[in-house]
Amino acid sequence: MYKTEIRGPLVLGDKKFSNVSVDITAPIDRSAPLWWKMAFFIGLLAAAWGAIAMYVTVRYGIGEWNVNTSVGWGWEIINFVWWIGIGHAGTAFSIFLLILRQRWRTSINRAAEAMTVLAVGCAAIYPAIHMGRVWLAFFIFPYPNTRGPLWVNYNSPLFWDFIAISAYLLISASFWYFGMVPDFATIRDKTKSKIKKTIYGFFAFGWTGSSREWLKYEALSFILGGIAAVLVVSVHSIVSTDFAASVIPGWHTTLFPPYFVVGAIFSGFAMVMTLMIIIRKLYKFQDYVTDSHLNAIAKILVFISLIMGTAYATEVFMAWYSGNPYEMFTFFHNRITGQYTYYFWAMVICNAIIPQLFWFKKLRKNLTVAFIISLVINLGMWYERFNIIVTSLTKDYLPSAWTDYHPTWVEVGIYVGTLGMFTMGVLLFFKYIPMIAISEVKGVLKLGNHSPVQKTVY
Amino acid sequence: MQKHSIIGVFDDEDQLVQALHSLKEHKVRVEEVYTPYPVHPVFGILDRKTSFTWWAFLYGLMAVIGVLSFLYYTAVIDWPLNFGGKPTNAFPSFIVITIILTILSITILSLFTFSVIAGVYPGKPARMPDIRATDDKFIVMIDPENAGKPIQEVNQVLTSNGASEVYEKESELSN
Repeated sequence: MYKTEIRGPLVLGDKKFSNVSVDITAPIDRSAPLWWKMAFFIGLLAAAWGAIAMYVTVRYGIGEWNVNTSVGWGWEIINFVWWIGIGHAGTAFSIFLLILRQRWRTSINRAAEAMTVLAVGCAAIYPAIHMGRVWLAFFIFPYPNTRGPLWVNYNSPLFWDFIAISAYLLISASFWYFGMVPDFATIRDKTKSKIKKTIYGFFAFGWTGSSREWLKYEALSFILGGIAAVLVVSVHSIVSTDFAASVIPGWHTTLFPPYFVVGAIFSGFAMVMTLMIIIRKLYKFQDYVTDSHLNAIAKILVFISLIMGTAYATEVFMAWYSGNPYEMFTFFHNRITGQYTYYFWAMVICNAIIPQLFWFKKLRKNLTVAFIISLVINLGMWYERFNIIVTSLTKDYLPSAWTDYHPTWVEVGIYVGTLGMFTMGVLLFFKYIPMIAISEVKGVLKLGNHSPVQKTVY
Repeated sequence: MQKHSIIGVFDDEDQLVQALHSLKEHKVRVEEVYTPYPVHPVFGILDRKTSFTWWAFLYGLMAVIGVLSFLYYTAVIDWPLNFGGKPTNAFPSFIVITIILTILSITILSLFTFSVIAGVYPGKPARMPDIRATDDKFIVMIDPENAGKPIQEVNQVLTSNGASEVYEKESELSN
């Protein structure tokens, strides 16, 4: 039994096992509140705009975007990397803490994993439509074909990316789903509605909670957790090689894989914080998502923010230290100063400076401040990707090929569309799936309640 | 199959574990234990073991060999192509795909293995002695024919260890 004497009780309010089942399944039994319906409607409108933008892209081609021969990658790749980054932390959070036996993960992992699956789903849209002719997307599959080279090029990071993201989506989704099976069984056995009993019963896989099932279930979680931990690191490293394996100034650097992995976890943790504060406030789950949980996330964010700051400084230092005039130009004349300087400084301020406010206990504990900072970090991470992609591409080696880049309404529409889809997905998750892992919370219910340290330590 | 069983209901993990120890001392054979969350001492007392992780390792091993052979066959033997002067057997750049596809294979095969060995699949009807096991009760199920002790003694051991209910039940059970 793992005692958590430092953190104190993981669940507050002297809950009994049955309270946990009732509390967490309550939103499923209630009808959706007004704010839920309004948010869903807004999400639907955004998704509709996205659908129109995607239709225009597919119907008329990517000429509808402002990308050109210099800036071949625009908002689409920025948003792709942004979503993939957010999608990283859910699994990272859940799996690293599982492997490290951090039992405080239990209240948060379900929502974090849901966020992962939805965000990776949104991300997967971009490479597909970026191909221009989306109906030919199957060209990327490694099967013997008659289009010239018989097989795909295994040396290409873009191909690695396709493999990695498909695998990541599948593994995150199955890890998430199998985590929910015992909770679906709880709903199946508690609900009085026949329809719910049938539906949740179908998805509960005939779960009974026998010792045989639990033994194999835990083995499965550790197998999936162990291998997915490797995947979390490798997927975003692969995304970074899309850039680092090129010869564009500002991209061609060995710093990229760790820089991208850390950045991804940073944005994802921030999104986890955003979601947990929403869940805690709107569903009144403060006994499950305690101050101690949010405090732990805030501390992790400060730490990662320092790494981000170091990475930004390292990039600039290496540009100067290498003595390479193209690197120097990109960093000193097209990022720190120049046309897109706003994006560079916004990135630094949002990611490296503002999160430092979490050093102050008062601000860490203030949920409004924490909520705003978590949003600021995700904004900053978007600026980071814009900064990396657009500044390097608009002005590279050949001044005659220099250009500007601003998105068209179609590009903005696709981004807004994915935001809308994500919002709708999150809302459906709130309504139909237990937001907190019921069986896992029951497992930690007694933890810390008998410990000598009764006070939550910050 | 109709089955007659003795059901002991506990409210608490500690009482359950204590009762299982006591049943073991009395040499009563416990058929199965149902809990709302995994209770680790139960696996030890009931001597439940699984070689699942070894299977996963084996899948990984097979996948590594399989993927590397596939890449070697397609890129070197079947249709060698010159990509920027790199050797056709570009082993370092095969590593990435090998890792990812190995992980993918382990995942898919492990999910199927789990479904088979734990006997769970979509739409399977749940057959359990007491549905409160997924909520807040810890259920011990004993088959009186295989228990090795008379029913009264089993009941007595369960009750004296804090079982909140002990009852007998005819039920349809799959395992």
